[in-house]
Amino acid sequence: MPIMEKAGIHLLLIAGLIFTGCKKDEDPPATPAPPVNEEEVFTTVILTFTDTEPVGGIYETFYMEWRDIDGPGGQEPVVSAEAIPAGRYFGVSVTLRNESVTPPVNLTPQIQNEAEEHQFFFDHPGLNIILSNFDLDANGQPLGSTFNAQTVGVSEGTLRVALRHEPDKDAPGVAQGDITNAGGETDIEVDFPVVIF
Amino acid sequence: MAFCCAGFVLYAQQPGCHLSLSGTVTDEHDRSALSFAEIFLPELGVGAVADEDGYYTVNNLCPGNWLVRVTHLGCEPIEQRISLQKAMTVDVELEHHAEELREMEIIRERPDENVGQARTELDAANIERSSGRDVATMLGVIPGVNVVRTGPTIAKPMIHGLYGNRILLLNQGIRQEDQQWGTEHAPNIDPFTTDRLTVVKGAAAVQYGSDAMGGVVISEPVVLPRNAGTSGEIRLTGSTNGLGGGIAGMLQGGVKGVRGLGWRVQGSSRVLGDLHAANYVLSNTGLREAAGSATLGWQRRRHGATLYYSVFSREMGILRAAHIGNLTDLREAIERQEPWYVAPFSYDIQPPRQVVMHHLLKAEYAYRLTDRDQLVFTYGYQANDRQEYDRRRGGQSSRAALDLFMPTHSGDLVYKHWFGKRLHGKMGVNGNYQENINIPGTGITPLIPNFIRSTMGVFVLEHYPLTEDLELEAGARLEHARLQVYKYDDDGLWITPEHNFTNNALSAGANWALSELVRLRFNISTAYRPPHVSELYSEGVHHGSGSIEVGDATLGNERSLKMVADLEAGLFGGRLATALTVYQDRISNFIYLRPSGFRLTIRGAFPVFDHVATDALLNGVDAMAELKLDENWSIRARFSMVRGSDLSLGGPLFMMPSDRWENALIYRRKSTGKWSDMELEVSSLNVFRQTRFPADIDFAPPPAGYHFLGCMASIARPMGKNELRLGISGSNLLNVAYRDILDRFRYYADARGADVTLWVRYGFGRNRN
Repeated sequence: MPIMEKAGIHLLLIAGLIFTGCKKDEDPPATPAPPVNEEEVFTTVILTFTDTEPVGGIYETFYMEWRDIDGPGGQEPVVSAEAIPAGRYFGVSVTLRNESVTPPVNLTPQIQNEAEEHQFFFDHPGLNIILSNFDLDANGQPLGSTFNAQTVGVSEGTLRVALRHEPDKDAPGVAQGDITNAGGETDIEVDFPVVIF
Repeated sequence: MAFCCAGFVLYAQQPGCHLSLSGTVTDEHDRSALSFAEIFLPELGVGAVADEDGYYTVNNLCPGNWLVRVTHLGCEPIEQRISLQKAMTVDVELEHHAEELREMEIIRERPDENVGQARTELDAANIERSSGRDVATMLGVIPGVNVVRTGPTIAKPMIHGLYGNRILLLNQGIRQEDQQWGTEHAPNIDPFTTDRLTVVKGAAAVQYGSDAMGGVVISEPVVLPRNAGTSGEIRLTGSTNGLGGGIAGMLQGGVKGVRGLGWRVQGSSRVLGDLHAANYVLSNTGLREAAGSATLGWQRRRHGATLYYSVFSREMGILRAAHIGNLTDLREAIERQEPWYVAPFSYDIQPPRQVVMHHLLKAEYAYRLTDRDQLVFTYGYQANDRQEYDRRRGGQSSRAALDLFMPTHSGDLVYKHWFGKRLHGKMGVNGNYQENINIPGTGITPLIPNFIRSTMGVFVLEHYPLTEDLELEAGARLEHARLQVYKYDDDGLWITPEHNFTNNALSAGANWALSELVRLRFNISTAYRPPHVSELYSEGVHHGSGSIEVGDATLGNERSLKMVADLEAGLFGGRLATALTVYQDRISNFIYLRPSGFRLTIRGAFPVFDHVATDALLNGVDAMAELKLDENWSIRARFSMVRGSDLSLGGPLFMMPSDRWENALIYRRKSTGKWSDMELEVSSLNVFRQTRFPADIDFAPPPAGYHFLGCMASIARPMGKNELRLGISGSNLLNVAYRDILDRFRYYADARGADVTLWVRYGFGRNRN
């Protein structure tokens, strides 16, 4: 069986070639690529409540903040909400920030520039509060990055803020602030535990 | 002596007597054709006379070991026994001067290395009749094969309940490496590059290496012409659903004066607009596809070489309404009757969309050591380039959200040998080197990290025919895989963890021809799969399912033990053809996603799924029966059933296909005047509701069962050396609104509605293989 022997030798030779051929490819990549800066990420939602009329000669401001700097996982989000007094009329603005980068970036202007493609929705189970006067996009449909809030009576509950990207603003109820038929993609959905005193 | 370029529409696994033996009889010295040579199979009493060009075909042969006698004017009758298991080409060279048959050279014997493995093939005619569909959908008609979908355009084959990284795709003999870990990553294979798709239903790890746990899909290379002359084909398809179609062309030939040199070039393109569910447009599901390949082959008695290159590119839209941000969006989508985004039909492809390009280069050299022993060296290079585009803010939608480049080198050396008169088989080494590179610039942390994976394996697979009717087979493989991962950890530190996996696989099988019409195959094999990088290191939000998926770097190998018994029987003198496959697959360390709670994020609460391992058991049955009612009419039934259970936790496995049952009425007629090969088929497919599913894993209960009406018709018109074939095929003809359990987008929208596809093929020139 000389042919078989010859074949065996060939086989071993070529196998050896393959083995050695693969060994030299095992150098790791020279320099690691820098970690990705996720520039589109939201880490922070801030609601700023400011009196529309001075109370006792001063404009008072109350803040509600939702922060998750390291994104999903890792550290738990930090949520804080100042109690707000009842029977007052506030101008409210929503600020969205990316605080995972230095310096932090305010992303609200970007949302306002693309107002037609975004809408904020608010839900406030348990709270005796009336929200109105939402800012509008170029088509006269609500964006909701600023609005007014009237704290009608003492109450305790949740204020939910949702931001939809590319919602269908023409769907029934959406322009009136009902999220049910909005569709699109949720960019933000956070709950603030709110006390109206 | 009709030239049989596309066989009759029969499954190759049917034990009926429909095999063909063909080839050319030539003079060894001046390579001239030996006209009117006689080919005779004395045991069967059938034969044929070669035509002027020395070409012969003997049709309707039963499988078996037959004596073939070749005679030519003035020659002694010459005999050789051949083992006919499938359509075969046997070229005969006669030493005319010496008036003796020197050698019968078997040029095209389809590889049948795993004799004990259950396998089903789609031949050229089957593929042709599915024109306009993707590879996975074509394979979906085979009992035991299901299709896992992500919307109407992305389809992956599932074999015996396993898919993705648990089955292997071989394209032109090379392991397809194109990010198969993701369900939203369809295999990048152009069905026009093959004339035979084979599904091996057993665990074929010995021969093909890791991942071949559930089975193997083989897209076989087309055999090149060897004789001078040019032939080719043009195909056109048009579909009503998606209002689009495709064009494909092929040219092939031999080179005059250079015997054994053949070439083939081929190209295709496909465009579809938005597809349509029963009641609405599936917005943004259009598709553009272009593919091409070129082959050059040279074959002499001792040497054979093939060079093959193909490129496949595809851009497709992802259903707009399936792009969601969190679990609230997903719940709303499930509650809606209609997707929230339905726009008028369009050919536009908007984000979310995918752009994929896949290159394959293959170089193969075979050296015949003796008449029976051969060395085959194969080198393959693949480059997979994938970009996925999302809907992003700030005008960034044109910037890829995922940008992966994955080059793979592979080398195989196989020694096909005979030891003595009976024992034969092959042994070899395979090496694989793969890099996965996230192209920077996406602005998004990559879903899977960069990695380098190298594998090296050695295997041996031997056959021993105990008697003429009973063949035994056994094989073993040893493989080592090294995975080097490059990534930043949670604290932003650069880490390069390394994983090593050593595995072995064993296989034993038998192929027993109980009679001319009854064949029993049995195989028992182990297989393995090292965990994929996505299972080890994925960490983040999976868009489309509104969940967070967490990898586990400590996961080990999956190992399976699969037993498959396959019985093919022809009853009532072959009038009733039946095939039955029964299997059991036991997988230890089966990796899957298990819910582990919720995580609060700025997008709301997300369910968290961990990659965990369990022990799984899959049992199933595939069955097929076809009864010839008379010369023209037949009825056919196909059935498949899989039962998967989680042995550690108890209860069923997730993502198991539901039972399917298909019935068809078929009319075949060989010739009607100037037309031939007429075939009509009406089929009815019942897909039952999945009633076995684990609690708390899925977001929605399994969808209802559904019933499909389908039809197919095809006919051929021979025109001398040319041939026109045309056909029509329809699926979901009753336009049923349905959702399938294996469709990841069933939460968002109904699946594809009624679709009718027309196809035409014009073949010109004759160039026999």
